Amino acid sequence: MSLATTMATNMPGTRLWAAYFGEIRFEFIKSLRTPAFAVPTLFFPVMFYVLFGIVLGSMRGNGGMSQYAFASYGVFGAMGPGLFGFGVSLAIEREQGLLRLKQALPSPPGAYLLARAAMAMLFVAIISLSLTLMAVLIAHVPLTFGQGIRLFVIDVLGALPFCAIGMFVGALVSGQASPAIVNLIFLPMAFLSGLWLPIQFMPKVLADIAPAWPAFHLAQMALATVGAPSRGTLGGHVGVLAAITLVFFLLAMRRMHGSGFRLLGARPKRTLAIVAGAGAVVLGLSLSGVFGGESANTEDAAAATDESSAAAATPASSSPPGVPAPAIPVIADFDGGSAATSYGVGWSASGDDMRGGNSSATQRLVDGGAAGSKGALEVSGNIGDAIQYPFAGTMFFPEGPPMKGMMDISGKRTLSFQARGDGKRYMLMVISGVQVDAIPLMYDFEAGPEWKEVRLELAGFANADFKRVRAIGVGTMAPVGPFRFQIDNVRLE
Amino acid sequence: MSQTTLASLTGAHKRYGKVAALDGFDLAVKSHELLALLGPNGAGKSTAISILLGLQAPDKGSAELFGHAPQEIDGRRRIGVMMQEVALPGVMRPRELLEQVASYYPAPYEVDAVIARLSLESLLKRPYGKLSGGQKRQVQFAMAIVGRPELLFLDEPSVGLDVQAREALWKVVRELLHEGCSILLTTHYLEEAEALADRVAVMARGRLITSGSVNEIRAHVTRKQVSFVSRLAPDSVRDWPEVMQLEIERDRMQITTRSAEALLVRLFREDPQLSDIEVKRAGLAEAFTELTNETKQEALS
Repeated sequence: MSLATTMATNMPGTRLWAAYFGEIRFEFIKSLRTPAFAVPTLFFPVMFYVLFGIVLGSMRGNGGMSQYAFASYGVFGAMGPGLFGFGVSLAIEREQGLLRLKQALPSPPGAYLLARAAMAMLFVAIISLSLTLMAVLIAHVPLTFGQGIRLFVIDVLGALPFCAIGMFVGALVSGQASPAIVNLIFLPMAFLSGLWLPIQFMPKVLADIAPAWPAFHLAQMALATVGAPSRGTLGGHVGVLAAITLVFFLLAMRRMHGSGFRLLGARPKRTLAIVAGAGAVVLGLSLSGVFGGESANTEDAAAATDESSAAAATPASSSPPGVPAPAIPVIADFDGGSAATSYGVGWSASGDDMRGGNSSATQRLVDGGAAGSKGALEVSGNIGDAIQYPFAGTMFFPEGPPMKGMMDISGKRTLSFQARGDGKRYMLMVISGVQVDAIPLMYDFEAGPEWKEVRLELAGFANADFKRVRAIGVGTMAPVGPFRFQIDNVRLE
Repeated sequence: MSQTTLASLTGAHKRYGKVAALDGFDLAVKSHELLALLGPNGAGKSTAISILLGLQAPDKGSAELFGHAPQEIDGRRRIGVMMQEVALPGVMRPRELLEQVASYYPAPYEVDAVIARLSLESLLKRPYGKLSGGQKRQVQFAMAIVGRPELLFLDEPSVGLDVQAREALWKVVRELLHEGCSILLTTHYLEEAEALADRVAVMARGRLITSGSVNEIRAHVTRKQVSFVSRLAPDSVRDWPEVMQLEIERDRMQITTRSAEALLVRLFREDPQLSDIEVKRAGLAEAFTELTNETKQEALS
């Protein structure tokens, strides 16, 4: 008689779940107790946020930047646990036999990967919550409950692409080399994705390649959530991140399988099919715009605006809206020999000397506007380096007196104008809201030698308060040095 | 008692580049037995074990664990594993490691019962990384048995253990055997195999050379050692055809021979005063050396 026939070998479902759960708990405790992992991943994002976001931010008295710093360091925090948890630990455990032992033991299929990914997400959850608490309680970043939840979800799910990249590194490099390699990915990517310095302040080349980095896409989602200027659409970012996650995960699994590790159990194809299927669904959804392409984003974002006014983070709802915008679509065509506008206070060149800077701008009317029109407005000047966030360009105040008067343009759909220039990047800026120092809406565009239309669909920018618009500006913040551009045919309709 | 086969390799081949680690290797572990797998370094022991554990697939031939492919988790839920050279997470405490491994099994032992059985109480307060090499091996052994395995893989279990700890481990191994657990043991300590094994399988150059009980293996060895006190001149004795090797130890002569009887007849003829005679059959160590040397010579010729 053999024991083989007398013993129950079926694993009860509850025990199997308990095994998965136990694995996650084990991994979490292990990571917390490992200072080389826990300190940089948990402590650094929080420390950087305190130093650069709160301390430095309050010294400069720039309220708007605290939102940027808050969102960015959350993304920075979302990168670390996945990259290090997989990149370093997987490389070491692969070499030191632990992975072999786990595979020889009946550890449930995929438990190792699942536990580590869950650990990374738990770590990110802790980071995200700490940052949110500090942002709200210390830095007084205006944040609604809905925004907080959304940011939390973005950060926590945002750990996954970095888990996949970490997995790939961990599958590839030696345990000894892995910390260096991971740091070489982590820190430059954080910088190049605009987590320490907004993309707008970066040299054009770096700003142009930023969409190549997964952290950039996560950062844009986070920035949009807290109402800081951002690029792209939610759907686009989700799609890119899902694709990156899928590709690196598959590459890592292929590599591990090649060296004899079956991390997904005896039937990896089934699991791979599930993962690939899930990835494809996310990709498909994002391509079809479910997460909000340009249009879906609007509703989503509009809801956020309603929420934020309802939550009364600022007394916006109690403050009256601005003067209704006139029906006339053209603000200025610069064909009449002046920079005058159909309404409000006309375009005037402005630098940042009022804020203690040394950037300056001058403007003049030139012949030869867009589409054969008579004239255009040329603005030129110099960006200085005296303050952290310089600006020079030209400003239009729809309702006088400048910056004090407010106009309600919520009935309009688009703000557009023609632009050309020296090939540098410029931005359209809309200053709005009850608080004068709230972060403005900034919309990036490139001004090349040919006239090109810059068109802003107002519905896509939920974070601006279009009921209370104080100023519309066109100008630049970077790079330091001379600039020159022309605008024509500014329309609000 | 009829025995069933719990784990088997049949005609297993495995190559690493030009080296054949396994060259048609057969092995079967039966219920209720302790099988010791012996062989010199590079014989293919580790490859054989890792195929049985599902860590590698054979190039040719087959492997089974409780009727399943070893990659399937069902078979592995019935085994316990103690490997060599595994770095467990140093920040975790022994109890946490045991609890984790226990959670993988359908009906494990109580962790506390295993701790008591192996007297690990004194190790529980310290993280695994702070334990001595021998203490780590004890924890690893506990991890191997906590799942109430029907078949236990022990790879060099007593490396790094002091005599006392080794005796304690052997005691538990014998108890487990008695309770019906089967064990596949790989070891360098031949006395360990001699002390524990029901059956010994000797492999060299990726092949099974022989298998049988410890006594049967010894019987393969025709070499014997004859030692005595004699007035004969060692140098003349050394040239006798019966003598393979001659050593002098104080007043005793010790001769290794394949024909002990013929040697003794001649000795008595030449020296009737021959005294203190002792004839010893080779131990497992000698058998092992001889068996594996033979295959080496075979391979060379």
